[in-house]
Amino acid sequence: MQPDTLLKELQIRSLEADTRRQFLRSCTTGLGGLFFGAQAANAAGGMPVHHPDSPLNALHPHFNPKVKRVIYLHMIGAPSQLELFDYKPDLEKLDGKPCPQEFLEGKRFAFIQGTPNMMGPQAKFAQHGNSGAWISERLPHLAKHADDLCFIKTMQTDQFNHGPAQLMVHSGQPRIGHPSIGSWVTWGMGTENSDLPGFMVLLSGGRLPRVGKALWSSGYLPSVYQGVQCRSVGDPVLNVTNPAGNSREIRRTALDSLKRLNEQTHAEFGDPETLTRIAQYEMAYRMQTAVPEVMDINDEPASVHEMYGTEPGKESFANNCLLARRLAEKGVRYIQLFDWGWDSHGASKGEALNEGFLNKCQQVDKPISALLTDLKQRGLLDDTLVVWSGEFGRTPMRENRGGKEMALKGRDHNPGAFTLWMAGAGVKPGYSYGETDAIGYGPALNPVHLRDFHATLLHLLGFNYKKLHYPFQGLEQKLTGVNPAKVIEDILA
Amino acid sequence: MASLKNGAVWAVWGAGLLCSGLSPASAEVDFARDIRPILNAKCTGCHGGVKQAGGISFVYKDQVIGFEGESGNPVVVAGEPEKSELFYRIKTDDEDDAMPPREDHPEGLSDQEKALIKNWIREGAEWSGHWSFEPPVVPEIPSIKDSENAKTTIDRFVVSKLEEENLKPSPRAQPGRLLRRISLDLTGLPPTLDELAAFETAFEKSSDDAIRAVINDLMDRPAFGEKWATMWLDLVRYADSRGLGLDDRRTIWPYRDWVINAFNEDMPFDQFTIRQLAGDLLPEPTIDDLIATAAHRNTQTNNEGGTDDEEFRVEAIVDRVNTTWQTWGSLTFGCTQCHDHPYEAFRNEEYYEFMAFFNNTADSDLNNDAPLLRVPSDRSQDQKAAELDRAIAASQKRIWEKGRAVAETTTWAATENLEVSTNNQTRYVVEKSGEREQFTTQGTVERGPLLTVLSNIPGATKAITAIRLTIQPKNTEKALKDSEWGFGIDKLRADMIGKDGTERPILFELSVADVPAMPHDPLIEVKADGTGFSAQTRIHHQREIILVPAKPIPVNDDRLRLQITSNGFALGAFPLVIQRGHIDITGETAWTDLAQDPGHKAARKALRTTIAERKKIPSVNIPMTSERPAQLTRPTHVFGGGNFLEKEAHVTTDFPESLPSPEGDSPDRLAMAKWWVSPEHPLTSRVFVNRVWERLFGTGIVATLEDFGSSGEDPSHPELLDYLALRFQNDYAWSMKSIIREIVSSATYQQSAITTPEVLERDSANRLLSRGPRTRLSAEVIRDQALALSGLITDEVGGTPVHPPIPAGVWKPFSSGDKWTTPKSGDKNRYRRSIYTYAKRSIPYPTFATFDAPSREFCTPRRLTSNTPLQALTMLNDEAFAEAAAGLARRMKYDTKGDVSTKLATGYRITTARAPSPERLQELLSLFSNLEAQYTSQPDLKKGLAGTADGAAFTVVAQVLLNLDEVLSK
Repeated sequence: MQPDTLLKELQIRSLEADTRRQFLRSCTTGLGGLFFGAQAANAAGGMPVHHPDSPLNALHPHFNPKVKRVIYLHMIGAPSQLELFDYKPDLEKLDGKPCPQEFLEGKRFAFIQGTPNMMGPQAKFAQHGNSGAWISERLPHLAKHADDLCFIKTMQTDQFNHGPAQLMVHSGQPRIGHPSIGSWVTWGMGTENSDLPGFMVLLSGGRLPRVGKALWSSGYLPSVYQGVQCRSVGDPVLNVTNPAGNSREIRRTALDSLKRLNEQTHAEFGDPETLTRIAQYEMAYRMQTAVPEVMDINDEPASVHEMYGTEPGKESFANNCLLARRLAEKGVRYIQLFDWGWDSHGASKGEALNEGFLNKCQQVDKPISALLTDLKQRGLLDDTLVVWSGEFGRTPMRENRGGKEMALKGRDHNPGAFTLWMAGAGVKPGYSYGETDAIGYGPALNPVHLRDFHATLLHLLGFNYKKLHYPFQGLEQKLTGVNPAKVIEDILA
Repeated sequence: MASLKNGAVWAVWGAGLLCSGLSPASAEVDFARDIRPILNAKCTGCHGGVKQAGGISFVYKDQVIGFEGESGNPVVVAGEPEKSELFYRIKTDDEDDAMPPREDHPEGLSDQEKALIKNWIREGAEWSGHWSFEPPVVPEIPSIKDSENAKTTIDRFVVSKLEEENLKPSPRAQPGRLLRRISLDLTGLPPTLDELAAFETAFEKSSDDAIRAVINDLMDRPAFGEKWATMWLDLVRYADSRGLGLDDRRTIWPYRDWVINAFNEDMPFDQFTIRQLAGDLLPEPTIDDLIATAAHRNTQTNNEGGTDDEEFRVEAIVDRVNTTWQTWGSLTFGCTQCHDHPYEAFRNEEYYEFMAFFNNTADSDLNNDAPLLRVPSDRSQDQKAAELDRAIAASQKRIWEKGRAVAETTTWAATENLEVSTNNQTRYVVEKSGEREQFTTQGTVERGPLLTVLSNIPGATKAITAIRLTIQPKNTEKALKDSEWGFGIDKLRADMIGKDGTERPILFELSVADVPAMPHDPLIEVKADGTGFSAQTRIHHQREIILVPAKPIPVNDDRLRLQITSNGFALGAFPLVIQRGHIDITGETAWTDLAQDPGHKAARKALRTTIAERKKIPSVNIPMTSERPAQLTRPTHVFGGGNFLEKEAHVTTDFPESLPSPEGDSPDRLAMAKWWVSPEHPLTSRVFVNRVWERLFGTGIVATLEDFGSSGEDPSHPELLDYLALRFQNDYAWSMKSIIREIVSSATYQQSAITTPEVLERDSANRLLSRGPRTRLSAEVIRDQALALSGLITDEVGGTPVHPPIPAGVWKPFSSGDKWTTPKSGDKNRYRRSIYTYAKRSIPYPTFATFDAPSREFCTPRRLTSNTPLQALTMLNDEAFAEAAAGLARRMKYDTKGDVSTKLATGYRITTARAPSPERLQELLSLFSNLEAQYTSQPDLKKGLAGTADGAAFTVVAQVLLNLDEVLSK
């Protein structure tokens, strides 16, 4: 078959497929044609329908987005807001005193028992920039970007255990099986570079997050929207390297032949899916060059390595920050970084506020700062949004695991308040939203549930969060779930 | 209806309306066909299950017919449209009254819809359930014009519909392709060259006989069960790890083997159902019956430190309810957890009545997955093991009943002047509860306390014959709903303390607990001193244990001292200690008589021997379902807003009213299991045959496998669905093999998959079945096929999970102890069928995930098939497929006699089950010579691939063959 006929065939086929696939693929489940047809139409909703051969093609969202791509920095384990951004001088005064009963009633804790003692901030704070943001001595480099950051001090979640809480952050639900934000976004608007996956995930090495791949799963959305994990060691993307004896020329020879054979198959059986397969093999071939290229940081100048503190070939958060910039530059839609080791209970050295926490802060401070500087210099911060958070906050009480005082200092999980910041497109720079109470235990003003954050993030990307939904198990599933959510208008630039 | 913009389309969902064809307002109006769709589309958003504006719900008949809403007028008066508020509201122009409200629905109802509703009311407003809630009826076998095309009854239904559409079925597929389809569908493996040749010969003689014989042969192979089990394992979310939290390894593979065997032995589906849902409640269950109950122990547990066992126990129960309804009923019953179902007739409280069937199982999110079934490693020991288990249970019960009989008649005296202390920061206070003194923890409880209770013995007691230790939750009433952390007794010492401080240790002869055996493990021996008595890990009810000394302990001026050690703590955080308790004593001699009764003594000794004997049988321990004893029943409550912390009305087991259910109060889990497979149940058999149909054709007769409700799709061939359902349930007595055989024996299934643009235009998704199925193979079959074609596959059924090659860097489990050790090249466990690959939920095997296999956290009724570049990368570059290509190359180069052309043609025949066309052979030949030339001119290129240029060329050709669309598709 001639290439032009092939193309024509594809076009005809996609038109026909648009009707066919809306029912059988794009809108796979829980769909009664008539039922949802009418209900969704009444709601004037639209759902993205991708061309079957290029399910990642860039689509226009509901309205013009401020943000074209997202870099999300998740500090797995939940860093203490009380040692970083949420300055509480009053808590200092209560240091060592037993926690008042009213703070404990009706609360569920992971490890705190009985009556713990209060614990003051374990770091010195100062105000930075014109905005006067309070940032602790733990993050001296980031402090220089105070006027770029937009803080939310009153983030709240429903979950106080890591696994469910991490899932809440990334999928809006505390259980495995729902699509992650990156999947919703790439489903909703595709990606800008068809030679790279639209949703890429970078891990600092060390421990994998406890629910693993579920944090970048596509849930009930088609699997093409799941996050693709990139690695610093071995293949940057699984199986992107040819096996031994398969040079790029050999592979081309083989693929050309495969294509001709598959074209004959299509001519014989007339199955449109065969054409999709041909297209996917070609994209795979292009990815084989594009991915290693973007993942190889050796070509960066020494000044850049110096700025980030990167070492090529190492698995590190610093390397991932640099990779995040490179992926953003190439048009990857959603870039997810996971760092680990932030669970500062005080039960061991690595997890103590007066030990491991100091190292963790040091490890991320410079690279995050470099990422912001770099993005800004390249003009990327104008349409890229950087988000930093954990999965919940930490208690103003000192942890007393097993019912007694521990040798090291730590704090237990607190779903009631934590700090998240954003920087870049669409949000007010040098701004702080929400206030916690005098001890940083819960919100005093403007609480922001994770659902509200999700609604806001989708808004920034050009989506009405109520209308980006997918029928599954008899429900129009949304990132924000069934409970009410709202866009935080005050933080929008 | 859809616009193209930048190569992408935002489709408006109204397009769906075109596909469903409303019938004209002629003849009789059929509620299910004509009216319900209008109500669902235009009314239930506000007057449904969730929102019931004005008290009106179009989901329930009694909230419509003769029902007076807030306006005071009846919604529908049967026979009288003009007196029916519904009709007034849809026809009026009054903006305040018009329904649906104009601001949200400017289009209102069409004239045709209004006419339908009017006629429906006039004809008597007959109400019927959704089609899937009505029992299947024996359909009339349609007569067709061209009976040439219809070999079986199935075909008559299909052809009749095709004839309506002026379409013709396709001819039978070419023999090689047909054999490949049947083999892949029945066994998940492609035919061998020998099988292919034999079939072609037989086909020449008599095609029908050849097909019949091959179907029977394939269904008799163990590979049949290995293929079909996967469908079931997706539903019951089988995995080899525990999920959420630590996701550590769980040993439960004997259940996977049980499913494989059930398919292979053609276990009738009713038995298959009853054993999985309630095998433990069958009289004299076998080890196999109990293994079956692991189906619902595939739920996730959370072993993360600091998690609440009760929260995740409840989570597992919720999952069991939802999975049961999905698996057997294809309904979204889970919607009812928080509110009445938005469009099915299920009430919120009915969810919890159903939950009550599962709420009293002994499992409780324990780290070790207890209760565990000890499955003999040598399965020939099964019967002996089951007999010992029964003997143990019977003996425990007899011994316990003797003890309880004495307890019933005993008068107890409370100990007095309690002094309580511990060896750590845990504090107790002594308070009065009525006439009795009790001790209660106060403040922070530290783990591992040694609790010492010193008390005075009431004056009248001259000798102690038994001591009763009662353990209570801190808040008895609340704990029934919201259990508290439990306790364990790890050591107990009792002494009489004389005035002068002398200690007289009390030695106990026996103990009598409040249950015959510990629910989480009946083989735990609760010692005479109470060691081993526990509430793991939650306490709902008051508990007690009676400790009986061998002889009466004389009382002078002594005080009684109990010292209790509780070392346990749950999830790194919660100390399992006695939070509240009191101690009673008695001097009644009946206890000493019991302690000294030689028969009772001998029975206790025999029990210990039997337990030891059972423990001696080498076993694999897997999670099982068992029921807690009646006295420890957990009450079930409606959860406010679906939140388990908000307990509302108390409920007991029952079936939803909208489905036929048996007589009798408070049915148990066994009754529930039988209910699903009762002859009256309208869903179960339809749901199962639809699943089989989907596996064979790529789309179900009901396309929404996950939803047979009113928001799911209607069946494409409703009469065929009912025919198959009744055939399965009645004629075949639930034989799964028989119904699968009937479908693959139909001409419809055996059609060629070749289609034309004209037919595609008319039947793009093949919903009319105008051609044979051509779908991409499933993840497991793709890998198994490659192993088979390359000659590497291991033919061995069952056993522990295996660890085939996995790309470097993927295996980084959160629990570092969970190792992935890949057997060396050549080891048989490297090439086992995919169903045996270790399935860890947080790190799914990459090839399977890439090819759309679910990671089995929840019930997956249907896999979505995608077509992505990552699949191409896997097929081309993954180590396992590279190894397969090398194997296939060897089969061409060494195992095939003849010239290169013959070798290549054989390679094509191995992979596609047919001879290559001349064009294809030419393509392969030129590819081969091109590659050979490249490898010859650049000898370094073949390094790591093959020793010779032609060997390398064969390997790359093999790669191309394994990647053919024809090979990846059915």
